Amino acid sequence: MADLDITALDAWMLHEPVSRRGYCVVRLKTKSGLLGYGECVDASAAEIEIARRVVIGRPATSHEAVRIQLGRVPHAEAGVNIAMLDLVGKFAKAPVYQVLGGPTRHRVRALASLDGAADEDLVSSLKARHAAGFRAFAVPLPTVMARNQGQAFAEAVSRRFDKLRAAAADADFVLDGASSLTPGDAGRYAAAIERFHLLWFDEPCPLLNLSAVRKITDESATPIGFGRHIERPGEVQNALREEAVDILRPDIARHGISQIRRMAALAETYYVAVAPHHEGGPIGTAAALHLAASLPNFFIQHIPVPTAEADRRMRAELTGGSLETVKDGFATLPTAPGLGITVHEEALEKYKERA
Amino acid sequence: MRRREFLAASGIGLWPASPTAFAAQNSPPADAFRAVGSRVRITGMKVFGVSLTPDSDRPYVFVKLETDQGVVGWGEATLEGKAGAALACLEDFRDFVIGADPMQVEHHWQSMYVHTFYRAGPVIGSAISGIDQAMWDIRGQVLGLPVHQLLGGPIDPRGVRGYYHADSEDRDELLRLRQTALREGISCFKSGLPEYYEWIGTRAKIERAVRHIQGLREGLGPDIDIAVDFHAKTSPSVATIICKEVEPLNLLFIEEPCPPENVKAMARIARRTTVPIATGERLIAPYGCRELIEMGAVDILQTDINHVGGITALWKVAAMADASGISMAPHACEGPIGGLATLHVDAAMPNFLVQEICSGVRPEMKEKVWEEWFGFPAMRMVGGHFPLPEKPGLGFELTEASLKKFPFGGTRPMARVFHEDGSVAEW
Repeated sequence: MADLDITALDAWMLHEPVSRRGYCVVRLKTKSGLLGYGECVDASAAEIEIARRVVIGRPATSHEAVRIQLGRVPHAEAGVNIAMLDLVGKFAKAPVYQVLGGPTRHRVRALASLDGAADEDLVSSLKARHAAGFRAFAVPLPTVMARNQGQAFAEAVSRRFDKLRAAAADADFVLDGASSLTPGDAGRYAAAIERFHLLWFDEPCPLLNLSAVRKITDESATPIGFGRHIERPGEVQNALREEAVDILRPDIARHGISQIRRMAALAETYYVAVAPHHEGGPIGTAAALHLAASLPNFFIQHIPVPTAEADRRMRAELTGGSLETVKDGFATLPTAPGLGITVHEEALEKYKERA
Repeated sequence: MRRREFLAASGIGLWPASPTAFAAQNSPPADAFRAVGSRVRITGMKVFGVSLTPDSDRPYVFVKLETDQGVVGWGEATLEGKAGAALACLEDFRDFVIGADPMQVEHHWQSMYVHTFYRAGPVIGSAISGIDQAMWDIRGQVLGLPVHQLLGGPIDPRGVRGYYHADSEDRDELLRLRQTALREGISCFKSGLPEYYEWIGTRAKIERAVRHIQGLREGLGPDIDIAVDFHAKTSPSVATIICKEVEPLNLLFIEEPCPPENVKAMARIARRTTVPIATGERLIAPYGCRELIEMGAVDILQTDINHVGGITALWKVAAMADASGISMAPHACEGPIGGLATLHVDAAMPNFLVQEICSGVRPEMKEKVWEEWFGFPAMRMVGGHFPLPEKPGLGFELTEASLKKFPFGGTRPMARVFHEDGSVAEW
């Protein structure tokens, strides 16, 4: 048995106390005693057990071979993939982005979601996040009341961006559709907001019939983002071929580093950028920063911002420090080996979901 | 008054005369990557033209990168028939390489490709390929891992399944080859087509081609895979007729049934036959493979690590192909550095099928030279698989002195063949 062989896989399902934002932390141990950490969205105990059976006894370097074998438990695979790359980096004494051929950039543009439903709440959230260093913000659509809407909704969308722009002149915005519109309505509003020069309109509708979805990019110049719900790279290929997507948004904790790199390779040949979605914890953020610095066609990284003090404390207790700190719109790359973070195990136990 | 001064003086010079006038940051500050890069810097680049025989049409083009840490990396930029162009293009990239941090190979790949403005054809693609391979060789040594492990492999612990070439039309010879293959565990051979074809085929030529392929199956038997390289000698019309005739033989694939420029023509051949279609050895960069993959028409891609853009590009093309269920059977008909480099990438491809080497089942002069250079029988199979290099980087050592025995014999054209009426033929 070689030093890099994996001897143990453990997992902790965590929830932030106030937001209830949830994420699963995966820890791998090698025979030599190295610890590698990963994060994924909720993975059941059964899925973790499947992953454990595949990964134990395998060298930490065989992340591609393991990825294929974990195809039926894709969430656990994402966590295992990140943890294996953490181990490879720690073994090689290099940050993960160097293992992967980077850095392709020396800082990472960051995106924060705004909290709230009413325009006033969004404006105050914008001011707080702007003061925290962000310059790009994801904004929810006004509440969708019917399958198809008219003038009042169009005006509500415009009013929202007028107010947000007045509050921060140097801000860029993403409109988050949360899959709530029909393709027809999405095309209409994508055209209506062209004048705001948004970064893009994200998940305007469910990614169903691509010919229907394609109406949005046909009818407007507003870039369209999709990807957080995509299950397989073949769906990425289809969306690119149908010209339905302008910016690809796989989720770091659903897809893992390697799978997103494979999707990004497809996107690159369509001149389509990648902006990974992230609504999980700080280990996922670290993984996303390394991914960003390995990709040529990365644009911006979604970084979750805790609002409640208790949630903020939990994230700080997990990985300490300044990982998710943003300055002038950019996050800093970790430089220590592997993911470049120290995971505090007492925090894993403290915040572990009670069975 | 020169034109630029005239435009400026007349007030209509709204657009900058040179791109730098707009560029606030023409190049990143020298220390931009200091905090996040490695400490390794490339200090030297040497290029070698190596002709195994003085009249070789494919002198090897090797590139050696030296670093301030003592680690050196080797890569291959061999471009068949255009050795001089590849050597000169490597020199053109000198400024991109000297002083570079070899760990950020993706960054340098992008810079060589994008900042070349014309993007890449085979000359630029081959030069990028050589530099990319050499950087990966250094990367693996610095990180202490063979490149196939950096890429997440090996997926198959037995090594990389491969095939040799077998061009015989002689029944007894094929039967003997079958016995050798069964004894040594070789699972696959590839052959060419016997003649040159015009864009419409005469009956005699088509029937001889079909008989040749049938003879391969009869001689090699049902349990050895057979691939047939049409080498773009056929038009879509001729290829389709031959493919339909050989469908019952269940070939592993037929290769390049028409030239590569017209993807729709290639896809049309694939649509009209059940024979798996392989192509791609002349495609450059992931961008050059996009349309073929998107159409989902062909079954197998054969991009070449010495032309497509090295390890970085071959890995990306394989990932792109995998999303469409397309297999990889990379081309390798040049020197041993690209051959060994391609094994590393193969080992980490979930959609890997089989690896070529342009050698016969018995080693000849070329294979003996390679063994002298590396101290092991490079690109020779054991039990039907190429063993994976286990040392860090690309996993071999090569001395400049060993190359000196084979000085560059100059650029020589590849075969120039003509039809019986004197018109130009594909070979």
